[in-house]
Amino acid sequence: MASRIVSFELCGREVEVLVKPMTTLQFVLRNQLGYTGTKEGCRQGGCGSCTVLVDGEPMMSCLLPVEDVAGRRVTTIEGITPVEGLAPIQQAFVDTNAFQCGYCTPGMVMLTTALLDHNPAPSREEAVEALGGNVCRCTGYAPIIDAIEAASASATGDATRDAGVMPDRSGER
Amino acid sequence: MTVADYFLPRSLPEALELLREHGPSLLVMAGGTVTMPLINEGISLPRQVMGLRFAGLDGLEPVDGGLRIGATVTLTGLLRQRHVPMLAQAARRTASWSIRNMGTVGGNLFTPPPGGDVAVALLALDAQVEVRSRDASRTLPLSEFQTGFMTTALEPGELVTGIGVPAVAGETAYLKFGRKEANTPSVVTVAVRVRREEDRVVDARVALGAVGPHALRASRAEAILVGSSLDPGAIDEAAEAAAAECDPFDDGVASAWYRRAMVRLFVRRALEGLAQPVAVEGR
Repeated sequence: MASRIVSFELCGREVEVLVKPMTTLQFVLRNQLGYTGTKEGCRQGGCGSCTVLVDGEPMMSCLLPVEDVAGRRVTTIEGITPVEGLAPIQQAFVDTNAFQCGYCTPGMVMLTTALLDHNPAPSREEAVEALGGNVCRCTGYAPIIDAIEAASASATGDATRDAGVMPDRSGER
Repeated sequence: MTVADYFLPRSLPEALELLREHGPSLLVMAGGTVTMPLINEGISLPRQVMGLRFAGLDGLEPVDGGLRIGATVTLTGLLRQRHVPMLAQAARRTASWSIRNMGTVGGNLFTPPPGGDVAVALLALDAQVEVRSRDASRTLPLSEFQTGFMTTALEPGELVTGIGVPAVAGETAYLKFGRKEANTPSVVTVAVRVRREEDRVVDARVALGAVGPHALRASRAEAILVGSSLDPGAIDEAAEAAAAECDPFDDGVASAWYRRAMVRLFVRRALEGLAQPVAVEGR
Protein backbone atom coordinates (compact mmCIF):
# COMPACT_ATOMS: atom_id res chain seq x y z
CA MET A 1 0.00 0.00 0.00
CA ALA A 2 1.27 3.40 -0.84
CA SER A 3 1.68 6.13 1.71
CA ARG A 4 -1.53 7.76 2.75
CA ILE A 5 -2.68 11.12 4.01
CA VAL A 6 -3.92 11.28 7.60
CA SER A 7 -5.52 14.35 9.08
CA PHE A 8 -6.20 15.10 12.71
CA GLU A 9 -6.49 18.05 15.08
CA LEU A 10 -3.19 18.91 16.74
CA CYS A 11 -3.27 21.49 19.52
CA GLY A 12 -6.27 23.21 18.00
CA ARG A 13 -5.09 23.17 14.37
CA GLU A 14 -6.00 20.79 11.59
CA VAL A 15 -2.90 19.03 10.32
CA GLU A 16 -2.36 16.64 7.44
CA VAL A 17 0.56 14.29 7.09
CA LEU A 18 1.67 11.86 4.40
CA VAL A 19 2.79 8.66 6.11
CA LYS A 20 3.87 5.11 5.43
CA PRO A 21 1.55 2.50 7.02
CA MET A 22 1.67 2.36 10.84
CA THR A 23 4.00 5.28 11.37
CA THR A 24 3.65 6.14 15.05
CA LEU A 25 2.09 9.38 16.23
CA GLN A 26 5.30 10.03 18.13
CA PHE A 27 7.41 9.83 14.96
CA VAL A 28 5.00 12.08 13.08
CA LEU A 29 4.95 14.67 15.86
CA ARG A 30 8.70 14.89 16.22
CA ASN A 31 10.00 14.25 12.72
CA GLN A 32 7.29 15.43 10.38
CA LEU A 33 5.59 18.22 12.30
CA GLY A 34 8.49 19.50 14.41
CA TYR A 35 6.59 19.09 17.68
CA THR A 36 9.66 17.91 19.58
CA GLY A 37 8.22 18.53 23.05
CA THR A 38 6.93 14.95 23.06
CA LYS A 39 9.94 12.81 23.90
CA GLU A 40 11.01 9.44 22.65
CA GLY A 41 11.96 7.16 25.51
CA CYS A 42 11.57 3.41 25.48
CA ARG A 43 9.20 3.01 22.48
CA GLN A 44 7.64 0.19 24.50
CA GLY A 45 4.94 2.04 26.41
CA GLY A 46 6.97 1.57 29.55
CA CYS A 47 8.27 5.04 30.40
CA GLY A 48 5.55 7.60 29.67
CA SER A 49 7.89 10.24 28.21
CA CYS A 50 5.83 10.25 24.98
CA THR A 51 2.47 10.78 26.74
CA VAL A 52 0.03 12.93 24.77
CA LEU A 53 -3.71 13.47 25.13
CA VAL A 54 -6.06 11.98 22.55
CA ASP A 55 -9.54 13.46 22.92
CA GLY A 56 -8.36 14.56 26.37
CA GLU A 57 -7.24 11.11 27.55
CA PRO A 58 -3.55 10.27 28.13
CA MET A 59 -2.04 7.77 25.72
CA MET A 60 1.44 6.66 24.73
CA SER A 61 2.18 8.18 21.31
CA CYS A 62 4.90 5.58 20.67
CA LEU A 63 2.23 2.85 20.56
CA LEU A 64 -0.27 4.67 18.35
CA PRO A 65 -0.22 4.30 14.59
CA VAL A 66 -1.06 7.80 13.40
CA GLU A 67 -3.91 6.35 11.33
CA ASP A 68 -5.60 5.54 14.65
CA VAL A 69 -5.89 9.24 15.55
CA ALA A 70 -7.39 10.28 12.21
CA GLY A 71 -10.12 12.79 12.92
CA ARG A 72 -9.31 12.90 16.61
CA ARG A 73 -8.00 15.68 18.84
CA VAL A 74 -4.36 15.37 19.88
CA THR A 75 -2.84 17.66 22.53
CA THR A 76 0.89 17.84 23.23
CA ILE A 77 2.99 19.92 25.60
CA GLU A 78 3.13 22.62 22.90
CA GLY A 79 -0.65 22.83 23.02
CA ILE A 80 -0.89 23.66 26.70
CA THR A 81 2.00 26.15 26.71
CA PRO A 82 0.85 29.78 26.40
CA VAL A 83 2.55 32.06 23.85
CA GLU A 84 3.95 34.06 26.77
CA GLY A 85 5.04 32.46 30.03
CA LEU A 86 3.98 29.09 31.35
CA ALA A 87 0.76 27.25 32.09
CA PRO A 88 -0.02 26.95 35.82
CA ILE A 89 0.97 23.27 35.81
CA GLN A 90 4.30 24.08 34.17
CA GLN A 91 4.88 26.91 36.67
CA ALA A 92 4.16 24.49 39.51
CA PHE A 93 6.82 22.10 38.16
CA VAL A 94 9.31 25.00 38.15
CA ASP A 95 8.32 26.18 41.63
CA THR A 96 8.73 22.75 43.23
CA ASN A 97 11.90 21.77 41.33
CA ALA A 98 9.98 18.87 39.84
CA PHE A 99 12.62 18.08 37.23
CA GLN A 100 16.35 17.81 36.86
CA CYS A 101 17.23 16.51 33.40
CA GLY A 102 13.71 17.31 32.18
CA TYR A 103 13.33 14.39 29.81
CA CYS A 104 10.24 12.99 31.53
CA THR A 105 8.70 16.42 32.13
CA PRO A 106 6.51 16.83 29.02
CA GLY A 107 4.96 13.42 29.71
CA MET A 108 4.54 14.23 33.40
CA VAL A 109 2.94 17.59 32.58
CA MET A 110 0.52 16.04 30.07
CA LEU A 111 -0.43 13.32 32.54
CA THR A 112 -0.97 16.00 35.21
CA THR A 113 -3.10 18.00 32.78
CA ALA A 114 -5.37 15.00 32.28
CA LEU A 115 -5.40 14.17 35.98
CA LEU A 116 -6.50 17.65 37.07
CA ASP A 117 -9.04 17.66 34.29
CA HIS A 118 -10.61 14.48 35.71
CA ASN A 119 -9.97 15.25 39.36
CA PRO A 120 -9.23 18.91 40.20
CA ALA A 121 -8.06 18.13 43.75
CA PRO A 122 -6.38 14.71 43.80
CA SER A 123 -4.96 13.32 47.01
CA ARG A 124 -1.25 12.44 47.04
CA GLU A 125 -2.24 8.80 46.74
CA GLU A 126 -4.39 9.50 43.69
CA ALA A 127 -1.57 11.52 42.14
CA VAL A 128 0.89 8.68 42.75
CA GLU A 129 -1.50 6.17 41.22
CA ALA A 130 -2.09 8.36 38.16
CA LEU A 131 1.66 8.72 37.56
CA GLY A 132 2.26 4.96 37.80
CA GLY A 133 3.24 4.67 34.14
CA ASN A 134 5.54 7.69 33.95
CA VAL A 135 9.15 7.11 34.88
CA CYS A 136 11.50 9.77 36.28
CA ARG A 137 15.09 8.74 36.99
CA CYS A 138 16.17 12.02 38.63
CA THR A 139 13.75 13.39 41.16
CA GLY A 140 12.51 10.44 43.19
CA TYR A 141 8.98 11.61 42.29
CA ALA A 142 8.22 13.50 45.51
CA PRO A 143 8.72 16.96 43.93
CA ILE A 144 6.51 15.91 41.01
CA ILE A 145 3.72 14.99 43.40
CA ASP A 146 4.34 18.35 45.11
CA ALA A 147 3.95 20.02 41.72
CA ILE A 148 0.62 18.29 41.17
CA GLU A 149 -0.58 19.48 44.58
CA ALA A 150 0.65 23.00 43.88
CA ALA A 151 -0.99 23.09 40.46
CA SER A 152 -4.21 21.80 41.95
CA ALA A 153 -4.05 24.43 44.68
CA SER A 154 -3.45 27.27 42.24
CA ALA A 155 -6.35 26.10 40.07
CA THR A 156 -8.77 25.54 42.94
CA GLY A 157 -7.61 28.54 44.99
CA ASP A 158 -6.66 26.42 48.01
CA ALA A 159 -4.16 28.53 49.93
CA THR A 160 -3.24 25.71 52.29
CA ARG A 161 -1.69 23.90 49.34
CA ASP A 162 0.54 26.84 48.40
CA ALA A 163 3.28 25.96 45.94
CA GLY A 164 5.79 28.13 47.78
CA VAL A 165 5.65 26.09 50.96
CA MET A 166 7.70 22.91 50.73
CA PRO A 167 5.78 20.26 52.61
CA ASP A 168 7.38 18.41 55.48
CA ARG A 169 8.26 14.97 54.17
CA SER A 170 10.42 13.92 57.09
CA GLY A 171 7.94 11.19 57.99
CA GLU A 172 7.98 9.58 54.55
CA ARG A 173 10.30 6.92 53.32
CA MET B 1 10.90 -4.66 5.90
CA THR B 2 8.11 -2.32 6.85
CA VAL B 3 4.38 -2.80 7.09
CA ALA B 4 2.89 -2.77 3.60
CA ASP B 5 -0.79 -2.58 4.51
CA TYR B 6 -2.55 -1.30 7.60
CA PHE B 7 -6.26 -1.95 7.47
CA LEU B 8 -8.70 -0.18 9.77
CA PRO B 9 -12.10 -1.81 9.20
CA ARG B 10 -15.11 0.27 10.20
CA SER B 11 -17.37 -2.67 11.02
CA LEU B 12 -17.25 -6.30 12.10
CA PRO B 13 -18.31 -7.68 8.68
CA GLU B 14 -15.54 -5.65 7.07
CA ALA B 15 -13.00 -7.03 9.57
CA LEU B 16 -14.14 -10.62 9.03
CA GLU B 17 -13.96 -10.20 5.25
CA LEU B 18 -10.38 -8.89 5.53
CA LEU B 19 -9.45 -11.87 7.70
CA ARG B 20 -10.93 -14.31 5.19
CA GLU B 21 -9.25 -12.58 2.28
CA HIS B 22 -5.75 -12.30 3.75
CA GLY B 23 -5.59 -15.41 5.90
CA PRO B 24 -3.31 -16.07 8.85
CA SER B 25 -0.60 -13.69 7.59
CA LEU B 26 -2.83 -10.77 8.61
CA LEU B 27 -1.74 -9.65 12.09
CA VAL B 28 -4.71 -8.53 14.17
CA MET B 29 -4.09 -5.68 16.59
CA ALA B 30 -6.46 -4.01 19.03
CA GLY B 31 -4.95 -1.51 21.48
CA GLY B 32 -1.41 -2.04 20.22
CA THR B 33 0.18 -2.17 23.66
CA VAL B 34 1.69 -5.61 23.01
CA THR B 35 2.10 -5.49 19.24
CA MET B 36 3.53 -2.01 18.77
CA PRO B 37 6.55 -2.51 21.05
CA LEU B 38 7.46 -5.60 19.01
CA ILE B 39 7.08 -3.69 15.74
CA ASN B 40 8.99 -0.67 17.10
CA GLU B 41 11.90 -2.92 18.04
CA GLY B 42 11.85 -4.86 14.78
CA ILE B 43 11.09 -8.10 16.62
CA SER B 44 7.82 -8.47 14.77
CA LEU B 45 7.92 -7.63 11.07
CA PRO B 46 4.36 -8.07 9.80
CA ARG B 47 3.57 -7.17 6.19
CA GLN B 48 -0.14 -6.77 6.81
CA VAL B 49 -1.85 -5.58 9.96
CA MET B 50 -5.50 -5.04 10.81
CA GLY B 51 -6.29 -2.55 13.58
CA LEU B 52 -9.60 -2.96 15.39
CA ARG B 53 -9.93 0.49 16.95
CA PHE B 54 -12.81 1.53 14.67
CA ALA B 55 -14.44 -1.88 14.14
CA GLY B 56 -17.27 -1.20 16.58
CA LEU B 57 -16.44 -3.96 19.05
CA ASP B 58 -16.31 -1.72 22.11
CA GLY B 59 -19.76 -2.21 23.65
CA LEU B 60 -20.14 -3.25 27.28
CA GLU B 61 -23.56 -4.21 28.63
CA PRO B 62 -25.14 -6.28 31.40
CA VAL B 63 -26.77 -9.44 30.04
CA ASP B 64 -28.90 -11.84 32.10
CA GLY B 65 -27.27 -10.85 35.38
CA GLY B 66 -23.84 -11.19 33.80
CA LEU B 67 -21.81 -8.94 31.56
CA ARG B 68 -20.94 -8.91 27.88
CA ILE B 69 -17.67 -7.16 27.16
CA GLY B 70 -16.84 -6.23 23.57
CA ALA B 71 -13.39 -7.36 22.51
CA THR B 72 -12.03 -3.83 22.19
CA VAL B 73 -13.44 -2.41 25.43
CA THR B 74 -10.39 -0.77 26.96
CA LEU B 75 -9.02 -1.67 30.36
CA THR B 76 -10.15 1.80 31.44
CA GLY B 77 -13.67 0.83 30.35
CA LEU B 78 -13.39 -2.34 32.41
CA LEU B 79 -12.13 -0.36 35.41
CA ARG B 80 -15.07 2.03 35.26
CA GLN B 81 -17.84 -0.59 35.05
CA ARG B 82 -19.60 -1.41 38.31
CA HIS B 83 -21.22 -4.74 37.43
CA VAL B 84 -18.33 -7.07 38.29
CA PRO B 85 -16.07 -5.57 40.96
CA MET B 86 -13.31 -8.16 40.56
CA LEU B 87 -12.87 -7.17 36.91
CA ALA B 88 -12.54 -3.51 37.87
CA GLN B 89 -9.99 -4.52 40.48
CA ALA B 90 -8.01 -6.58 37.96
CA ALA B 91 -8.04 -3.72 35.43
CA ARG B 92 -6.89 -1.26 38.07
CA ARG B 93 -3.82 -3.38 38.84
CA THR B 94 -2.95 -3.79 35.16
CA ALA B 95 -0.38 -1.50 33.53
CA SER B 96 -0.80 2.28 33.86
CA TRP B 97 -3.47 4.86 33.09
CA SER B 98 -2.22 5.65 29.57
CA ILE B 99 -1.81 1.95 28.74
CA ARG B 100 -5.26 1.14 30.14
CA ASN B 101 -6.67 3.82 27.82
CA MET B 102 -5.26 1.81 24.89
CA GLY B 103 -5.08 -1.87 25.86
CA THR B 104 -8.23 -3.94 25.42
CA VAL B 105 -9.93 -6.79 27.24
CA GLY B 106 -9.85 -8.97 24.11
CA GLY B 107 -6.19 -8.19 23.59
CA ASN B 108 -5.43 -9.19 27.17
CA LEU B 109 -6.39 -12.79 26.28
CA PHE B 110 -3.47 -12.80 23.81
CA THR B 111 -0.96 -11.14 26.13
CA PRO B 112 1.78 -13.58 27.11
CA PRO B 113 2.74 -14.09 30.75
CA PRO B 114 3.79 -12.41 32.96
CA GLY B 115 1.18 -10.12 31.41
CA GLY B 116 -2.45 -10.98 30.78
CA ASP B 117 -3.72 -10.49 34.33
CA VAL B 118 -7.29 -9.67 33.39
CA ALA B 119 -7.63 -13.14 31.89
CA VAL B 120 -6.91 -14.58 35.34
CA ALA B 121 -9.93 -12.80 36.83
CA LEU B 122 -12.03 -13.78 33.80
CA LEU B 123 -11.02 -17.41 34.25
CA ALA B 124 -12.23 -17.42 37.86
CA LEU B 125 -15.55 -16.02 36.61
CA ASP B 126 -16.08 -18.82 34.02
CA ALA B 127 -15.82 -16.33 31.16
CA GLN B 128 -16.81 -17.41 27.66
CA VAL B 129 -15.03 -16.20 24.54
CA GLU B 130 -17.18 -15.21 21.57
CA VAL B 131 -15.55 -16.01 18.27
CA ARG B 132 -16.76 -15.09 14.79
CA SER B 133 -15.65 -15.83 11.29
CA ARG B 134 -17.31 -14.58 8.11
CA ASP B 135 -19.53 -17.63 7.93
CA ALA B 136 -19.84 -18.94 11.48
CA SER B 137 -19.80 -18.06 15.15
CA ARG B 138 -19.07 -20.05 18.27
CA THR B 139 -18.51 -19.57 21.96
CA LEU B 140 -15.95 -21.44 24.00
CA PRO B 141 -14.84 -21.29 27.63
CA LEU B 142 -11.75 -19.17 28.28
CA SER B 143 -10.21 -22.26 29.91
CA GLU B 144 -10.22 -23.87 26.44
CA PHE B 145 -9.34 -20.73 24.51
CA GLN B 146 -5.80 -20.27 25.75
CA THR B 147 -3.90 -23.38 24.67
CA GLY B 148 -0.22 -22.56 25.19
CA PHE B 149 2.38 -19.82 25.27
CA MET B 150 0.94 -17.24 22.84
CA THR B 151 -1.28 -19.87 21.22
CA THR B 152 -5.07 -20.04 21.24
CA ALA B 153 -7.88 -22.19 19.88
CA LEU B 154 -8.64 -19.59 17.18
CA GLU B 155 -8.93 -21.03 13.68
CA PRO B 156 -7.81 -19.11 10.59
CA GLY B 157 -10.41 -16.52 9.70
CA GLU B 158 -11.75 -16.28 13.25
CA LEU B 159 -11.80 -13.17 15.38
CA VAL B 160 -12.57 -12.69 19.08
CA THR B 161 -15.55 -10.34 19.15
CA GLY B 162 -16.39 -10.34 22.85
CA ILE B 163 -16.17 -11.96 26.25
CA GLY B 164 -19.19 -13.13 28.19
CA VAL B 165 -19.13 -13.21 31.97
CA PRO B 166 -22.05 -15.30 33.24
CA ALA B 167 -24.01 -14.49 36.37
CA VAL B 168 -21.84 -16.53 38.69
CA ALA B 169 -22.44 -16.76 42.39
CA GLY B 170 -19.93 -16.65 45.20
CA GLU B 171 -17.39 -14.44 46.84
CA THR B 172 -14.23 -13.46 45.01
CA ALA B 173 -10.73 -12.29 45.79
CA TYR B 174 -8.10 -10.97 43.40
CA LEU B 175 -4.47 -10.52 44.38
CA LYS B 176 -1.68 -9.46 42.07
CA PHE B 177 1.85 -9.53 43.39
CA GLY B 178 4.50 -7.61 41.47
CA ARG B 179 7.89 -6.10 42.23
CA LYS B 180 6.32 -2.67 42.69
CA GLU B 181 2.87 -1.26 43.29
CA ALA B 182 1.90 -0.02 39.84
CA ASN B 183 2.63 -0.72 36.19
CA THR B 184 4.45 -3.91 36.95
CA PRO B 185 4.60 -7.40 35.49
CA SER B 186 3.26 -10.06 37.76
CA VAL B 187 5.26 -12.41 39.97
CA VAL B 188 1.97 -14.18 40.48
CA THR B 189 -1.67 -13.23 40.05
CA VAL B 190 -4.37 -15.11 41.94
CA ALA B 191 -8.13 -14.90 41.39
CA VAL B 192 -10.40 -17.09 43.50
CA ARG B 193 -14.14 -17.55 43.65
CA VAL B 194 -15.85 -19.61 46.27
CA ARG B 195 -19.55 -20.36 46.62
CA ARG B 196 -20.72 -21.58 50.01
CA GLU B 197 -23.98 -23.10 51.16
CA GLU B 198 -24.44 -23.13 54.88
CA ASP B 199 -20.82 -23.46 55.92
CA ARG B 200 -19.62 -25.70 53.12
CA VAL B 201 -17.91 -24.76 49.88
CA VAL B 202 -20.02 -26.10 47.01
CA ASP B 203 -18.06 -24.58 44.13
CA ALA B 204 -14.53 -23.16 43.88
CA ARG B 205 -12.30 -21.57 41.27
CA VAL B 206 -8.61 -20.94 41.77
CA ALA B 207 -7.09 -19.15 38.76
CA LEU B 208 -3.39 -18.36 38.52
CA GLY B 209 -1.42 -16.01 36.28
CA ALA B 210 2.29 -15.66 35.46
CA VAL B 211 2.97 -19.22 36.60
CA GLY B 212 2.39 -21.09 33.35
CA PRO B 213 2.22 -20.60 29.59
CA HIS B 214 -1.16 -18.85 30.03
CA ALA B 215 -3.71 -18.16 32.77
CA LEU B 216 -4.60 -21.50 34.31
CA ARG B 217 -6.89 -23.09 36.85
CA ALA B 218 -5.49 -25.00 39.80
CA SER B 219 -8.00 -27.82 39.59
CA ARG B 220 -6.53 -29.91 42.40
CA ALA B 221 -6.72 -26.95 44.74
CA GLU B 222 -10.32 -26.38 43.66
CA ALA B 223 -11.20 -30.02 44.40
CA ILE B 224 -9.69 -29.76 47.87
CA LEU B 225 -11.78 -26.68 48.67
CA VAL B 226 -15.10 -28.17 47.59
CA GLY B 227 -16.76 -29.76 50.60
CA SER B 228 -14.50 -27.97 53.06
CA SER B 229 -15.55 -25.15 55.37
CA LEU B 230 -12.61 -22.98 54.26
CA ASP B 231 -10.90 -24.02 57.47
CA PRO B 232 -7.17 -23.36 57.91
CA GLY B 233 -6.33 -26.98 57.15
CA ALA B 234 -8.18 -26.97 53.82
CA ILE B 235 -6.69 -23.59 52.91
CA ASP B 236 -3.16 -24.84 53.60
CA GLU B 237 -3.75 -27.97 51.59
CA ALA B 238 -5.26 -26.04 48.66
CA ALA B 239 -2.38 -23.53 48.67
CA GLU B 240 0.10 -26.39 48.67
CA ALA B 241 -1.73 -28.11 45.81
CA ALA B 242 -1.84 -24.92 43.72
CA ALA B 243 1.90 -24.43 44.23
CA ALA B 244 2.54 -28.02 43.17
CA GLU B 245 0.33 -28.02 40.07
CA CYS B 246 1.31 -24.68 38.52
CA ASP B 247 4.08 -24.49 35.94
CA PRO B 248 6.16 -21.40 36.73
CA PHE B 249 9.06 -20.03 34.69
CA ASP B 250 12.21 -17.97 35.25
CA ASP B 251 12.34 -14.47 33.81
CA GLY B 252 13.65 -11.03 34.69
CA VAL B 253 10.82 -10.56 37.19
CA ALA B 254 11.23 -13.68 39.32
CA SER B 255 12.60 -17.20 39.36
CA ALA B 256 10.35 -20.22 38.96
CA TRP B 257 11.24 -21.22 42.53
CA TYR B 258 10.14 -17.84 43.91
CA ARG B 259 6.97 -17.80 41.84
CA ARG B 260 5.97 -21.21 43.19
CA ALA B 261 6.57 -20.03 46.76
CA MET B 262 4.46 -16.94 46.09
CA VAL B 263 1.63 -19.06 44.65
CA ARG B 264 1.50 -20.89 47.97
CA LEU B 265 1.46 -17.61 49.90
CA PHE B 266 -1.01 -15.65 47.76
CA VAL B 267 -3.50 -18.48 47.27
CA ARG B 268 -3.52 -18.83 51.04
CA ARG B 269 -3.99 -15.08 51.55
CA ALA B 270 -6.81 -14.92 49.01
CA LEU B 271 -8.65 -17.81 50.62
CA GLU B 272 -8.05 -16.53 54.15
CA GLY B 273 -9.61 -13.23 53.08
CA LEU B 274 -12.76 -15.09 52.03
CA ALA B 275 -12.79 -17.26 55.15
CA GLN B 276 -13.26 -14.22 57.40
CA PRO B 277 -16.69 -14.40 59.06
CA VAL B 278 -17.64 -11.01 57.60
CA ALA B 279 -17.85 -11.06 53.81
CA VAL B 280 -15.46 -8.54 52.30
CA GLU B 281 -17.49 -7.83 49.18
CA GLY B 282 -20.30 -9.36 47.18
CA ARG B 283 -18.52 -10.67 44.16
